[in-house]
Amino acid sequence: MVLLAVSYYLAARLGLGFRFQDSQIGVVWPANAVLLAALLLTPTRRWWVVLVATALAHAVAVASVTPAWRAAWQIAGNALFITSTALVLRRVPGLPLTFETRRQVFAYSAIAFVLPALYAFTTPAFVRALFHLELAPGSTLATTLLRVTLSNATVLLLVAPVVLLWAQFPVHRLKELSARRLWEAGAVVLSVLAVGMVAFGTGPEIAVGVPLLWVFPPLLWVAVRFGPVGASTALLGVAALSVWGTARQLGPFVLMTHADRVLSLQLFWIVMCTPVMLLAAVIWERERVEDALQAHRTQLAHLTRVATAGELSSSLAHELRQPLTAILANAEAAQVLLTRDGVDLREVRAILEDIAEQDKFAANVIGRLRSLLEKEEPHFEMLAMETTVGDALALSRGTVERSGVQVETQIAPGLPRVRGDPVQLLQVVLNLVVNGCESMSATPAPDRRLRLRVARQDSEYVEVLIADSGTGLPPGREDRVFEPFFTTKKTGLGLGLAIGRSIVSAHGGRLWGENNLLRGATFHLLLPMDHANDGPTAADRHRR
Amino acid sequence: MTDRRPLIAIVDDEESVRVALRRLCNAYGLEARTFVSAQQLFASLDEYRPDCLVLDAEMPECGGLEAQAILQERGTSIPAVVITGRDDDTMRTRSLAAGACAYLYKPVDAEALLDAIRRAIGASS
Repeated sequence: MVLLAVSYYLAARLGLGFRFQDSQIGVVWPANAVLLAALLLTPTRRWWVVLVATALAHAVAVASVTPAWRAAWQIAGNALFITSTALVLRRVPGLPLTFETRRQVFAYSAIAFVLPALYAFTTPAFVRALFHLELAPGSTLATTLLRVTLSNATVLLLVAPVVLLWAQFPVHRLKELSARRLWEAGAVVLSVLAVGMVAFGTGPEIAVGVPLLWVFPPLLWVAVRFGPVGASTALLGVAALSVWGTARQLGPFVLMTHADRVLSLQLFWIVMCTPVMLLAAVIWERERVEDALQAHRTQLAHLTRVATAGELSSSLAHELRQPLTAILANAEAAQVLLTRDGVDLREVRAILEDIAEQDKFAANVIGRLRSLLEKEEPHFEMLAMETTVGDALALSRGTVERSGVQVETQIAPGLPRVRGDPVQLLQVVLNLVVNGCESMSATPAPDRRLRLRVARQDSEYVEVLIADSGTGLPPGREDRVFEPFFTTKKTGLGLGLAIGRSIVSAHGGRLWGENNLLRGATFHLLLPMDHANDGPTAADRHRR
Repeated sequence: MTDRRPLIAIVDDEESVRVALRRLCNAYGLEARTFVSAQQLFASLDEYRPDCLVLDAEMPECGGLEAQAILQERGTSIPAVVITGRDDDTMRTRSLAAGACAYLYKPVDAEALLDAIRRAIGASS
């Protein structure tokens, strides 16, 4: 509460500096933004503490320039206005107020116009003007109402979002920002400053017209890239620059009379706020939708990997039983040999080497299976598609053998690397291999051949080609196999190829299938080469 | 059993398993020879007559069951122990019905394998 009172006091002192020259009406009263933010962030049962603390701070801040009766009226009026605004905001856009949805920005903007207009009728300035007690020269009742309304609307639209958003901002997120993001933030700040200096810090003959519009590109940049927090802060920065320039008789607003100048400034700020905040909310919403879609896609990809692992489970058990058999038989043979006189150490050494080798083989099988089952966020790395194809064949070896399929592999020498998620690309190739084997169940045993070729496709792509001699794709509707839930198998979700295509698309590649001239189908998987460098591959590191 | 070391033919397409089972048999005093496929075994039967076969149930082209059938067609009677890496009860039933002396699941315990081999040789002698 001490922090609140101090913040309110400083904001009030700042507000006293922004007044219409000819009246007691403030251009902007930032203390109200502090009060509003405090009320919105405090449970209603504790509001009285907030109101008492800010009332005391108000009384102290204005004591030297305002009579006590007027200060009391201001405190009561502000408390009524801001409390009612907070109550409405709690109900209509709802809390927490983050300005991250169009609905919140629309509702908040509407409330920020309507409530100040209603409140204007209760202010000392209006009441005194009504009874001709205090009417500045050239002012009318209507202009007094307009001044009070715009003054409070400016606070709600321009200042309150900044105070509220920064008060809610988790500071630890600043530490998580990447260097690239920090550089971008620095560039944005510089461009806002630079444009603001030109628009508001040059002579009115230069600043008038086009330069005023220059403030919008950096504001739009902030709205698109830094969300509501960045947008509201940048808006306040531009407003501060416009005040700074106007106070120094610079910028376009000094061409008007003093009263018009202030009204124009307020209108300029208000007109800027809603569209920029709305754009930030739209972009934010869109990014959240894209994030949610990506999360669903990742979950679905994981589910299909688990389903594939389930289909392969008996083959994988077979894969593990081979090394386990060799390890056990070798160990038992060594035990017998070691009981004999004159132990053949060469034989025992060979046995131990074989045991170690078979253990590594089993560990590789488990490692591949684990990577397939792991639920991880996609991460792109450099990888060699020939390694991915090798891993897919190792995982599907049992299925391939059980299906009586002969596999031919052609790997072109010196293949470039691609950039991708090793697990997801393994999933795609594995799915194509297993599908190919299953499609050949009705093919005569000697003709069951699966051909895999990894080669360059022009200067941009690496192609993995998988050709089978199975039943082929539906004639004339070859692409249907990539539709979700389309399946020709007795078991299976019909998602493997659909997910596979979305994974490949996310890698900037293409996946399609076509029927062979004689029998079966050929699937083409194109992935863009990574021209950046040629270091150790992710797939190599990925191997266990 | 005679004084001669019993001859065991191990047929498995997996080299590591072939080598390990040969070592195990040799360590226990059996004379083991390995074959990469049933066809390779058939080709050697004119000059080599094992006392017992250890057949892998799943091999490309000709698995344990098919090998048993071909031997029966040829009129060659050699007792067989079938080993498998798959939990497949149908295959077990069919193999035993086709004359296999034992049907063992990998990884095969030495005691179980040697016991099965000895029983197979004892039954045929």
